[in-house]
Amino acid sequence: MKRRTFLMGTSAAAAAAAFGMPVALAQRKPDELIWADQLPGSLDPHAVFDVPMQGYMVNIYDTLYVYQSNPPKLVPWIATGHTVSEDGLTWTFKLRDGIKFHDGSALTAEDVVWSFQRLLGIKKGAASAFLPVLDPANVTAPDKATVVFKLKHPYVPFLSATPLVAIVNRRVLEPNIKDNDWGTAWLSSNSAGSGPYVLDPATYQPVQQLDMKRFADHFMGWAHNKSPVEIVRRRNILETTTRINALIKGDIDATDSYLPTDQVERVLASKTATVSKDESMRVMVLRMNNKKAPFDNVNYRRALSHAFNYKGFISGVLKDYAVRNAGPIPANLWGAPTDLPPYEYSLDKAKELLAKAKAEGAPVEREIEIHIQQHLAQTTQAAQILQQDLRKIGVTLKIVPNLWPQLVSSTSKPETTPDMWVHWVSTYFVDPENWIGQMYDSQFHGTWKASCWYTNEKVDKLLQEARRLADQEKRKALYEEASRIVVSEAADIWIYNTIELRGLSNRVKGFSFTPIGSGADFRILSLTG
Amino acid sequence: MTRFILRRLLLALPALFGLLVLTFIMLRVLPNDPSAALAGENASPEQIAAVRKAYGFDEPLWKQFVIYVGQVGRADFGNSIISNRPVVSDIAWRMPATIELTFASLLFAAVVGIPLGTMAAVWHNSPFDHVMRVVTVGGLAIASFWFAIILQIVFSMELDWLPLRGRFPVGVDPPANITGLYLVDSLLTLRFDQFVHALAHIVMPALTLSLGGLASIARFTRAGVLETMQKDFVHYAEAAGYARKRIIWVYVLRNSVVAATTQIGLLFGTLISSAVAVEAIFDWPGVGSYAVSAILTSDYKAVLAVTLIVGVIYALVNIVVDVVHALLDPRVAESM
Repeated sequence: MKRRTFLMGTSAAAAAAAFGMPVALAQRKPDELIWADQLPGSLDPHAVFDVPMQGYMVNIYDTLYVYQSNPPKLVPWIATGHTVSEDGLTWTFKLRDGIKFHDGSALTAEDVVWSFQRLLGIKKGAASAFLPVLDPANVTAPDKATVVFKLKHPYVPFLSATPLVAIVNRRVLEPNIKDNDWGTAWLSSNSAGSGPYVLDPATYQPVQQLDMKRFADHFMGWAHNKSPVEIVRRRNILETTTRINALIKGDIDATDSYLPTDQVERVLASKTATVSKDESMRVMVLRMNNKKAPFDNVNYRRALSHAFNYKGFISGVLKDYAVRNAGPIPANLWGAPTDLPPYEYSLDKAKELLAKAKAEGAPVEREIEIHIQQHLAQTTQAAQILQQDLRKIGVTLKIVPNLWPQLVSSTSKPETTPDMWVHWVSTYFVDPENWIGQMYDSQFHGTWKASCWYTNEKVDKLLQEARRLADQEKRKALYEEASRIVVSEAADIWIYNTIELRGLSNRVKGFSFTPIGSGADFRILSLTG
Repeated sequence: MTRFILRRLLLALPALFGLLVLTFIMLRVLPNDPSAALAGENASPEQIAAVRKAYGFDEPLWKQFVIYVGQVGRADFGNSIISNRPVVSDIAWRMPATIELTFASLLFAAVVGIPLGTMAAVWHNSPFDHVMRVVTVGGLAIASFWFAIILQIVFSMELDWLPLRGRFPVGVDPPANITGLYLVDSLLTLRFDQFVHALAHIVMPALTLSLGGLASIARFTRAGVLETMQKDFVHYAEAAGYARKRIIWVYVLRNSVVAATTQIGLLFGTLISSAVAVEAIFDWPGVGSYAVSAILTSDYKAVLAVTLIVGVIYALVNIVVDVVHALLDPRVAESM
């Protein structure tokens, strides 16, 4: 090419872009989905377990059981079913035939055993759900289609935790093991699964972008979906305004599922996109450090529980896209007592209780602190609402900005745990154990979920018993009783159960929400237009 | 000149080491232990302790520092504690995007800012100068995220002239990786279609990022030109009958632009730090957004590496600026 042609081309292109000629924007492909939600920090499903990982795992890997629809139902997936021994210790799972990993090799009971042993060996991610009840040696495969788990003691939530464990391909991983790391360095940016989609490791960039292609040989087949999505491009768009504009413009097909409530109307008013509103299982809690004075006084905690303007927050800030939750268990899950009245907002009652606490010797004049998660606006808003009302009853609340890693680390001891802090408890597995069990049983002290340091022997006993019993009706009664006690003792301030708000383009069909993975199950989605 | 450059390079080393020490102390002395978050959902204190040991967080701080400096000396910045990948490879993928955006902004700021500043000086106290003053003060004062959102709404959402976000259309192959700079690589491979995409994507972020720099370059140039115009040689040239255009754009400008050149070097640092916000708004896949994620997750190795690499680039740019400065004004090199 001559210099002149080169220059002319360049100038023409520059002029086109700079002086407002509409630039030929790339056309969206009909079978390609762009999903703009957070990505997990690393891709090893046994090393990380959080909400973004759930959305990844459900597509790349398969599990013994899965959760589907809302409220979530536990359905056999690569297993055909299971049996439990009389004593509740031996769990036997039968596997389906003909399941293939992405490399074409067969998924057998051996792979299930190795996957559980790997999870227990790495001791991160979802391992905590199993470590107290399961030794690696007690997961065995008597034959190719049978897996047997022998638990140390009866633990009924075991079944509901099985969807946490991705079954990985041992043959792919073993050559990539370095320094006894279970292949985790390699699996952090690669995949070894059998799920409906295959990762494209070449284009993967942590936290930024991840592409996956449809796996035509997935064991469930594709008969359920006439026009499946061939390629999913996951992009993490940090800025909310940009994410929403991109959705309205048709640049992307889905946002995250926590749209700011003031943006919902804007998306709905557009001709290109809509908002899926689904009640999830994710409870917002203001934690109180029950071991620190004056929070060790029950009347002080009750006073604070009455001082939060629940309606003002839920209606004013969240535009009613949230459901008031009276206790720790999400109101839409069994075990949450339906007749339990939530704490009402009443500064008179709060004052009265504060006086009582003072009379009992609680140092109610002390300035207290609430730690918020700096990058999550709602935690600040909740803290500010509480701060205003507490000022009216003579309590000074200081708001301290903080970040998740530091907060989690501070909750290992009562002395370092903040007076109060704000977080949500999401669905890791659908069982009251995920909320009340791990939040209020004193055996979990030192973990962030139990960071209120609540101790009540009766509650401990009820929760222990509930883990042991197979009969759900009996368990339900125990959880309800435990809930009533915890709520009457105002261990924490429970605010609401989340309604997830996900922006979806009108091209997306077949979206079905489940609290686990928040509806990022691409297998059932299709695109029109 | 070689001696001058070497001297400047040597002077940069202690500054960079100071940066390393400071960043390390800030990240590791403040309560900042990612172990608990890394150990996972509901991890027991034993699990957390195991993670702490595996990452060496249980070692005394001085030892952690010595180990880290040793690694950096071998150009090994370690693995990200979150993504488990070498931070250098993650940064290498993102750095060209930030460099491209920063240089495009700098170029735009200089190419537009210097002539505007000169014109404001030549016609000082004219209506043009007053308007320029308002515009440049505005340019310095305007919040870049506000300006960015206005650009997005007007040029992308309403007029649909420019893409809203990103560096390249999703699902379209980017230019062959030669320098990593899409504008350059697409030209080198004569792919004008790719060049148009890359240019269309960079216009709004570069404009946003250049705003503050453009304003300060224009103001510095104006001051420099005004001062030079009072010099004797200008009066002599005028008396000798040189064309006014030639006097201003050749003689005056060359003698005035020194101040603006120094400003460009300093601006580079400001631009890289402002790029954090601009990259986030335009979803530009640079080191800014990477650094934000790393800070939120306490990924201290990633934060350290970003700080240090940006520090090195900043030092190099300033050395280049010094050299240019010396070429424009030979007295500078002599005085060193």
